[in-house]
Amino acid sequence: MALFGSSSSAEASSPSSSQEIKASLIRQVQEEAAMSNARSLIGKVNEHCFDACVPTPGASLSAKESTCLSQCMEKYIGFWNATSRAYIARVSKESKSLGGADLSGVSL
Amino acid sequence: MDTQTQLDIAKLNDADRKELTQYLANEAQKSNIQQTVHGLADICWKKCITGKISSGRLDQPEEACAQNCVERWMDTNFAVLKHLETLRGQ
Repeated sequence: MALFGSSSSAEASSPSSSQEIKASLIRQVQEEAAMSNARSLIGKVNEHCFDACVPTPGASLSAKESTCLSQCMEKYIGFWNATSRAYIARVSKESKSLGGADLSGVSL
Repeated sequence: MDTQTQLDIAKLNDADRKELTQYLANEAQKSNIQQTVHGLADICWKKCITGKISSGRLDQPEEACAQNCVERWMDTNFAVLKHLETLRGQ
């Protein structure tokens, strides 16, 4: 999962061939999808880690709270990946038993 | 994204147009799955991570809890649908 995608906005000349237009569209969609995914993740991390690490907000973040926030963020990302693996495994199992598409190769 | 180049979609040939349509369908599905996972991680975090956070690593019990949470959530989903089906038949 690339958090912010690759923001290589070094597109100097406007694309004109079919091939270039296609590549440019795909790049834009990739960037926006990565940005939207990151935004959702950051919002959730903020919510849960504020809950877990800053029970009583003081005049500033203490060193302990800062450490907790870093650890919480890493843990949340690990937790998200575990959730994603479990969900994809289950969905692909269910859809296989229904004779549907095989999603086992999908990764986010 | 302020300097987005204006793209002339009309210049796309049929093959590229078809490939793009397929690509967009895949991306839409991926995005849907990601949104579901965001929702699930939200729900399951509340149930699984209750104590004080003392490490950035996801430990074994936490990982197992995440997996069980997703599986039981799916079971719940199916159970609700199944019961709804019996209600409909009454």
